[in-house]
This record gives sequence, structure tokens and C-alpha cells, in this order.
Amino acid sequence: MSVPTAPAPSPSAGPARGAPSREGILVADRLTKRYGDVTALDALSFAVGAGEVYALLGANGAGKTTAINCFLGFIAPTSGTARVDGVGVEQDPVATKRRLAYIPETVMLYRHLTGLENLEYFATLGTGRAFAEGELLEHLARAGLAADAARRPVGGYSKGMRQKVGIAIALAKDARALLLDEPTSGLDPKASNEFSALLAMLRERGCAILMATHDLFRAKESATRVGIMRHGVCRAELATADIGHADLERIYLEHMTD
Amino acid sequence: MLAVIARKEFLEMTRDGRFRWAAVVTALLLAAALTAGAVSWRAQRALQAQAAGQMREFWLNQGPRNPHSAAHYGLWAFKPKLTLAYLDQGVDPYTGVAAWLEAHKQNEFRFRPAADASAVQRLGDWTAAGILQVLVPLLIIVAGFGAFATEREQGTLRQLASLGVPARALVLGKVLGVGGALGLVLGPAAVLGAITLALAAGGPALVADLPRLALLAAVYLGYFLVVAAATLAVSARARTARAALVVLLLGWASTTLVMPRLAAGLARRAHPTPSAFAFAQAVSADLTGGVDGHSPGEDIERLKAETLRKYDVATVEALPVNFDAIAMQQGEEHGNAVFDRQFGRLYDTYRAQARVHALAGLVAPVLPVRALSMAIAGTDVEQHRAFATAAERYRRMLVKAMNEDMAANSRTGDFSYRAPPALWASIPSFAYEAPPLGEALAGAGTAFAVFTAWLVAAGLGLAAIRRLDVA
Repeated sequence: MSVPTAPAPSPSAGPARGAPSREGILVADRLTKRYGDVTALDALSFAVGAGEVYALLGANGAGKTTAINCFLGFIAPTSGTARVDGVGVEQDPVATKRRLAYIPETVMLYRHLTGLENLEYFATLGTGRAFAEGELLEHLARAGLAADAARRPVGGYSKGMRQKVGIAIALAKDARALLLDEPTSGLDPKASNEFSALLAMLRERGCAILMATHDLFRAKESATRVGIMRHGVCRAELATADIGHADLERIYLEHMTD
Repeated sequence: MLAVIARKEFLEMTRDGRFRWAAVVTALLLAAALTAGAVSWRAQRALQAQAAGQMREFWLNQGPRNPHSAAHYGLWAFKPKLTLAYLDQGVDPYTGVAAWLEAHKQNEFRFRPAADASAVQRLGDWTAAGILQVLVPLLIIVAGFGAFATEREQGTLRQLASLGVPARALVLGKVLGVGGALGLVLGPAAVLGAITLALAAGGPALVADLPRLALLAAVYLGYFLVVAAATLAVSARARTARAALVVLLLGWASTTLVMPRLAAGLARRAHPTPSAFAFAQAVSADLTGGVDGHSPGEDIERLKAETLRKYDVATVEALPVNFDAIAMQQGEEHGNAVFDRQFGRLYDTYRAQARVHALAGLVAPVLPVRALSMAIAGTDVEQHRAFATAAERYRRMLVKAMNEDMAANSRTGDFSYRAPPALWASIPSFAYEAPPLGEALAGAGTAFAVFTAWLVAAGLGLAAIRRLDVA
């Protein structure tokens, strides 16, 4: 069985926290998921190291979200393993979730609670420790949400504001890895830019980031590597530093057609 | 973790307009029922005390009179209401609370408010127990139907699952959260209940009734836990919040509104009770053929022969006692045996019906709760029977004392005998002590067992939610 290894973190990446992981913080090892005759993931393997952003690119149904769900333990793989910081998700789902933060396409929050209360709730449950209000406001501010907005009920938040609360949750959790599922879908360009800046900040803190996206431009801007997926198979893996936007688009389209 | 989840549930619920409105309406209804119940209880108690006092006064001051005539003159016996009866009137509106005690007859109870009530009035007769049994479960459903289903629909359940929050902690936290929100309604209601109880019955009565009050509170809390567990279990399995609400409302209507009526019908079918007319006819037929103290017959002749032999005289006129009074007492004894048999059968039928009711509670938890609530409040059929038995015992004692006085102090055929007022004073006032709590609960044993089964099922049901489908 081949275990993919992560390339060394880029010089801009901060030092990885916790025990150093030789194989990468997020590792998909021949991850396979079948639903009857349909193969959603076919021996998918990759590794994301500390300070790395790995973007899974592909059309709808390519298997990107299925891969993320395997890391979250929402889906049990038919074969293969998903590991977080060296721990198999199926082996210890609670421990792996402690090391993760998850931001879906729209960060779902409780509309009757304020942003601050939502953060407190998710952060406390995610870490098992209590947070002072000042600390929570600091995380929200770092994620770009002002204190007055943080004290308003989430029912009136834009999608971008919700994403910021999601990032604040990741910051409060001090997550080793971040899973993003179409994070910039539906965001206006300014909000997308802000989001990219937040990802860069998390990257610098040594967080391993796995992002499923359709957005080639954002993938090129934010990711260190991209994996192009089709029918559950990773067709190509590229380092974004080595290619331009046009190259990425060309290669992507090549793999989308037979 | 549990406290964090519970606090969030509490915050969310109390900020939700739907819950707020439902809570306010329930709280107002509960406050109105408690206040009206306490006022009515106090008025009824005063009325009973006044009527009993007047009755005693009439009895003592009836002047010289033939004792048998006094026995026919009779007395009212009033069923004293336990303090908690203001929370749960139980069967009192249907059975009545006053018995007319007189010679020769065990009368049925009178003054049944339910018999005189119009359909519209019945709607206004909500007691605190009715609200706790029917409306509070609805409030729990409003509070909890979306506990998981809404979170699943909105995606927050996925967010929670991504944090590794165990399903069991989530379930228990939500139970606590729903409980806390419910406490906003029930807490003040409990304080108001204690205040109205103290005002209506006095502080010492409140202290004396604390064990009953505590047990009643425990039964209702257990009931709410069962409803909350069912609500969360449905919400955990429902695809959408709307589906959860529909299922829960159907469950609520069928278990709290339909099942009690269905159970009553089933109980009547399994153990039919005679109509009042048929019962009176059965008693009358049973009495026929026994000793009738007022009419000549074979039995009277036999009794006469026995009495003459006992006193060794040839004629009743030569007897040192009044044979008419002896015959009347003998007639009473025969009647007593008939009443014991007929009323005993009737109450046994009621008891069998209550058992069917309690067993139907395996489908609808409100049924055993209703039975336990009435038992604790002292208003169930068993305690009505205990009172009826005590009243009948008093009637028999009184009639026997009258007949014995007449037999000893007059001669056969002498109806001009007038007993002195001392005889009336020798008859003690009717005093009734309701059965103690343990005895009352023993009478509701089946309901208690069924309710315990529900509590266990609720606990197991909650424990069984180990995995939550996030999508």
C-alpha cells in the first residue's frame, strides 16, 4: 500500500504545531467509496501538510464532497482510510474531529443567537473548554467580524459574515486542519478576496487546508497544490506555483473531456 | 458540554416567537386555572362546613321525636376535599360529593356538577391538571419538534457533528434545554400554585400536603420527560421539521384527546355499568324477599316467633321490647347485605374499568398520569368508594342506634314514643379521614406500573439515539 507523502511546507508556512507528522496532517490513502454500482471515490490518495492548501477541483459529482465527508466521518469509506494527524477517522472519530475545523458552502449557524453566541457554542463544544468573551471577540475580529456585528443575531448575516464566523470557529479551535467545501461559492469578489486573505492567515499558522471548489481562479490564488478530480479519481495533481491561471484552466478542461 | 448545549437550546427557544406565544398562553391558562381552582375549592369547603354545621344543629335541636322518624329525617354527609383537589377535581364532578343518609336506603351521591353542565361550560372547566395533561405536552412539542429536524434542515447538525459532539450529549443537552424553557412556564406556575394553596387552605395544610404535592410534581415532571423524549425521538428521525411537527401533533391529538375517550368506551364495553334506573331496579329486586320491617310477611312471622321464644312470652304485646323496632332493624340488616352486594358489584365494575383505562395507558401515557394525579389529589374512584363506604357505615350506625333506642324504650305498636334530645347528642358528627397517600397509591397500582414502564421506555428511547443522520 502506498502512502502519499506531503511535500515540505513552503517557506512561508509557519511551523506545524503538535507532534510533527511525517506523512502530512490530512492523508487520503486509497480512499474508495461505492454506492452499489456507482463509485464515488476510486482509490483517492493525497496528503496535505502543515501550512499547505490543497484544492480538489472538479465538476459536480466528481467526488470532492465525498472525500471531505470521509475526513469528517460522515461517510464510512468502502475501503482505504482517511487520517488526520496520523489518526484514522474510523479508528477515533472524536479525536480526529477535535483536530479539524469544517466550513461548508454556507456556514450554518443558529439564527436566533448572535455571532458571538454561535462562536462560543461551537468553540466550546469543539474544544471542551470555556472561552472568555474577549477571547471570542478577538477571534471574530481576526476573522474580520467587528464587535458590533458579532453582537447581532445571525439571522441578519450575509453569507460572507457567516464564513467569517466559521473561520473564527477554526481559530478558536486552533485546528490542525481545515476542510472547506465550496467556501467561496456565492460570495462577491470582495468577500472572496477577504476569504482568501483569511485562508492565507490560517496557512501561516500552520494549518493544513483541504478545499473542494469549482473556482479555478480562487484555487490558483489560495492553494499550494490542486488535484483535478473526475468520477472519483484524481486525474492530475499540480503545484500552483508552477503554473499560471490559463494553464490551470486548460489542464482542467482537458481532464473534464474524454 | 451538557450545560453548554442546554443553555443554547434555552436561549434559542426563548428567543423564538412561536414558543414565546405558546408559553404565555399556557402560563396564563395555568394561572387562571390555579386561581379559579383555589377560589372554588375554598368556597366549596366553606359551603360544606356551613351546610354540615347547619345539619348538625338541626339534628341536635330536632326536639323529642320518634327515633325511626328521626332516622328517616336523615342527614347529609359531605365528602371533604383534600387540598390538592383544587388542582385535580378527578371524578368528583361525575360522582358528586354529598350523600343523603336515611333509613332503609343507601342513596347514590348527589350534586354532580358534570350532570348539570352544558357543553360550553365544560370547555371552561379546565383545571390545572387538565392543562398540565393536555396543553403542556403541546408546549413541549412546540418547543422541541425542530430540536434535531430543524438543525438537520438548516445544516447546523452537520456543523455540530463535525465537532465530534456525541449524539447522546446532544440529546441530553436538548432535554435539559427544553426542560429549562418549560421551567419558565412551570416554575412561576408552581410558585403561584403554592401561594394559592397556602391562601386557600392555610400554611399548615400546605406543609401537611407537601409530600402529596412533591409526588404530584414528580409524576408530572416524569410525564413531561416522556413527552420530551418522544418529541426528541421523532425530531431525531424526521427528515424535515414540518414532518416532525405533523407526526407529533397527530400523536398528541390521538393520545391526549382521542385515546382517553376510546379507553373509556373500551372500559365500558369490557365491564358495562348499569344505568341508574337499571341499578335501582336491581337493588329493589334484590331487596324483595328479605325482611321488610314495615310490612307483614313470612320473614316477619319467623322473626316474631324467634323473638317470642327468646323472651319466653306468648304475644308481642307481652315483650319487654318494641318488636316493630326489632323488625325494622332486621329489615335494615337485610338491606345492608343487599347494598353491600349491589354497590360492591358496582364499585368492582368501576375498579375493573379503571384497570382497563390504566392498561390503555400503554398506548397513551396521559391515562396513567391522569389516574395517578387523581389518586394523589384524593379524587379518584377508589377514594370516592372509601368515602361512600364511610358514609354508609355512619348511616348504618345511626339507624341502628335509632332502632335500638326505640326497641328498648317503647313497646310494640307504640309509635307515640318520643326519644329525648340526649339521643341525638349521643350520635357523633360524621367525620371522615381520607385514606393515607400509600393506600391511595396502592389503589392506582396498575397505573403506577404502566407509568413506570413509560419512564423506562423514555430513558431507553433517549439512550437509543446514538447516531444522528446529519443529511
